[in-house]
Amino acid sequence: MSKKRIIARIDVKNEFVIKGIHLEGLRKVGDPNELAKNYYESGIDEIIFMDAVAAYYDRNSLSHIIKKACDDVFVPITVGGGIRTVENIQTALNSGADKVAINTQSVKDPSFITHASKTFGSQCIVASIDAKCIGDRKWEVYVDNGREPTGLDVIEWAKKLELLGAGEIMLTSIDYEGTKKGFDLQLNKAVIEAVSIPVIASGGAGKTSDITELMVESNVDAAAVASLFHYDLVTISEVKLGLSAEGIKVRM
Amino acid sequence: MSDIHEAFFGLPQEVKFCKKCVISNQRPSSTVEFKNEKGEKKSVINFSDDGICSACIFQEEKETGIDWVSRDEQLRKLLSPFRSNDGSYDIIVPGSGGKDSAYTAHVLKYKYGMNPLTVTWAPHLYTDIGMKNFQEWMHTGGLDNILYTPNGKLHREMTRNAFHNLLHPFQPFIVGQRIIGPAMAKRFGVKLVMYGENQAEYGNAIEENSNPIMNMDFFSSEDPLEMKFGGVSMQEYINTGKYSIDDFAPYIAPKQQDLIDSGVEVHYLGYYLKWDPQECYYYAVENTGFEANPVRTEGTYSKYSSIDDKIDPFHYLTTLIKFGIGRCTYDAAQEVRNGKITREEAVYLVKKYDAEFPSKYLKEFLAYIETSEVDFHKILDAHRSPHIWKRNPDKSWSLRHEVE
Amino acid sequence: MINIAVIDYGLGNTKSITSALEKSGVRVSLTNVRDDILLCDGVILPGVGAFSHAMDRLISQKLDGLIREFVGTGKPLLGICLGMQMLFEQSTEFGVAKGLCLVPGQVQRLERCDGSAEKLPHVSWSGISTKRTSDWNGTILESIDSDEDMYFVHSYYAKPANSSDVLSLSRYADLEFCSTVKHNNIYGCQYHPEKSAVAGLRVINNFVTICKG
Repeated sequence: MSKKRIIARIDVKNEFVIKGIHLEGLRKVGDPNELAKNYYESGIDEIIFMDAVAAYYDRNSLSHIIKKACDDVFVPITVGGGIRTVENIQTALNSGADKVAINTQSVKDPSFITHASKTFGSQCIVASIDAKCIGDRKWEVYVDNGREPTGLDVIEWAKKLELLGAGEIMLTSIDYEGTKKGFDLQLNKAVIEAVSIPVIASGGAGKTSDITELMVESNVDAAAVASLFHYDLVTISEVKLGLSAEGIKVRM
Repeated sequence: MSDIHEAFFGLPQEVKFCKKCVISNQRPSSTVEFKNEKGEKKSVINFSDDGICSACIFQEEKETGIDWVSRDEQLRKLLSPFRSNDGSYDIIVPGSGGKDSAYTAHVLKYKYGMNPLTVTWAPHLYTDIGMKNFQEWMHTGGLDNILYTPNGKLHREMTRNAFHNLLHPFQPFIVGQRIIGPAMAKRFGVKLVMYGENQAEYGNAIEENSNPIMNMDFFSSEDPLEMKFGGVSMQEYINTGKYSIDDFAPYIAPKQQDLIDSGVEVHYLGYYLKWDPQECYYYAVENTGFEANPVRTEGTYSKYSSIDDKIDPFHYLTTLIKFGIGRCTYDAAQEVRNGKITREEAVYLVKKYDAEFPSKYLKEFLAYIETSEVDFHKILDAHRSPHIWKRNPDKSWSLRHEVE
Repeated sequence: MINIAVIDYGLGNTKSITSALEKSGVRVSLTNVRDDILLCDGVILPGVGAFSHAMDRLISQKLDGLIREFVGTGKPLLGICLGMQMLFEQSTEFGVAKGLCLVPGQVQRLERCDGSAEKLPHVSWSGISTKRTSDWNGTILESIDSDEDMYFVHSYYAKPANSSDVLSLSRYADLEFCSTVKHNNIYGCQYHPEKSAVAGLRVINNFVTICKG
């Protein structure tokens, strides 16, 4: 069985790390490169940098942060937020990112995922889904950083993204993210069962047992965590030790 | 050919934008709403000689010029003599369960040990998210509440008149909202009323910020029959024969002397605690079960501000029509001042969202004020001041001045 | 100071490789220029994406012959991820595509059963192991612990024709596949040492040491 991955999700606005709740709010919590370096040195498996305001300003501008990160951080780096064209992807990869996360553009133009994965390889392309619960076991896809509903069903959309050529799915629960109340297990399980590509669960971790529960209860491949680490609630070692104790295999 | 265009409402002829935030000098200051009548001259936000608005100037003071530790002590000293020890309510907190009142009530109870009764002047038409947050305020926040819903028939007619006569549909609501705090205090024998932030933070006369107490003019009247709702006085409503003075029970502002005699004091928490609306959002989520709007609010980029009333968007539409500034300008200006976004970003957002037409609840609003869509647009257009709007050859409207 | 060339043919995360090499104190050039490459003390062939697409690029820039020429000098070459796969004879991705034929063997797809817990692509930190760690002395895996985790992200794997070329094995579902290959002066890592934290940096450092000769 593959080892599970613990990923630090760093949402960035200009030169700050920010942390919102329900994908809203721009509270500053640190410096992106400092946090990335700390997490790397503490044993994080991967880092995801999200441009939190790319949707507002029709831009994406994390290149300088990624370049600097590559000087100090030698684990995989994913960049997301405002990835709209092949040039955007090339710029991100040239800056040192290994993968890009794409959400809004994939909804506007699904063929973009196919084109991107053929050009760069599917392992480079993480399809990002922001999900909002709209009923019993029903979730809707949102775009523009959790602002605009699309009418798409999350499960059907996840299946489609796999067919289009995405290499992984990053699934964020808008309802749970930032709340530190735990992951949306129903949502994660439903998507994991629907696809055969790796799924990264994002949104809601408030304590180690939230991540343990997620990994015991579902076949998720990775957990992306923000508040838990940014607010220093738990260390990465504590999380990995906790998972190990429950028999979950992780890189120590 | 003269470049001077008429300025309605006595607004400043020259349109200027603050160099620090994005508000314009057309922004009206708070006023005693029940004296508001058609054709009245508006007083507006002040700009310094170097083009900075008074709200930004006050923000600087908030950052460096105020000793918040001593203000906190002042708050504790204020609250101490009022604090009950027999389970009775000792402070009234008016609000709807939005982020500001959620924060105010919760922090007063759980940090400062008071026993608040929250009182809600019901929104015209609750949104789903508004009702949910209102309920959570009680159930998760652990607070008591009285929801006061005024006579809908009258309230609708007043709102309709306010829209038609003043292009200010919220006017009657604001009257009631300001009265309910002190009125409930009087009824419950509670002396202290605490609102959230002082509107002065957003650009009223800066001296108002050095006063924690709300001016009694806002919620008291010597002659209630002269109070105006939608530009029509209480007496005139009664004269139509459709209403009696009984229908105006919620709106009859207490007399100043009565308030003084009963010892009612109305304070702003924003005087004592450094106010940051976005931090109120975080606090409300973490403590009172607050949830942001699931979708972006029309006319702006944000999801956490003013989301409980379906009429809200039309309030901001009317500020756009009358003063050239919409919801996004208000939100963005506040967030620039509080260091969440840069002015450059604010300008971008204003250009992107400020003029967005609020179509989501249009049908409901028109039904509420019993006005046809054609008349709705006629009234909007009649209030477009020529110094702010120009009519294009294709009959559409454009702002003469946009923030840069 | 020694010089290492990272082949620039437009594919692969070269930024991280160059950063990692710089950390090891070498002069790095990202290049496709013949003379620069032939004069270097060691060469790294990165690669990410599709086998046939990458091979087409190498061939169109005449880098395939150049790589073979460099290998002929006896100086060390390290292929990373797709770069490792291209060292072999062929791959079955999108039909049959010919590789550089520098190492006997072929490249085929990882198999996944429906409903299996394993996913494709194989994106994971996985252990690299050997029966005898002494086999790793003097190689790029010197002083790496057996079963040390490295970062993998791939859907295909290489099958060396000679078991003596297999330096380390890793596991995917029921399959043990070759994760590090050594064929004379040619090395290949299926994983990304430049993304495998401290252990991965040690692999790169070892390669640098070998280049020093």
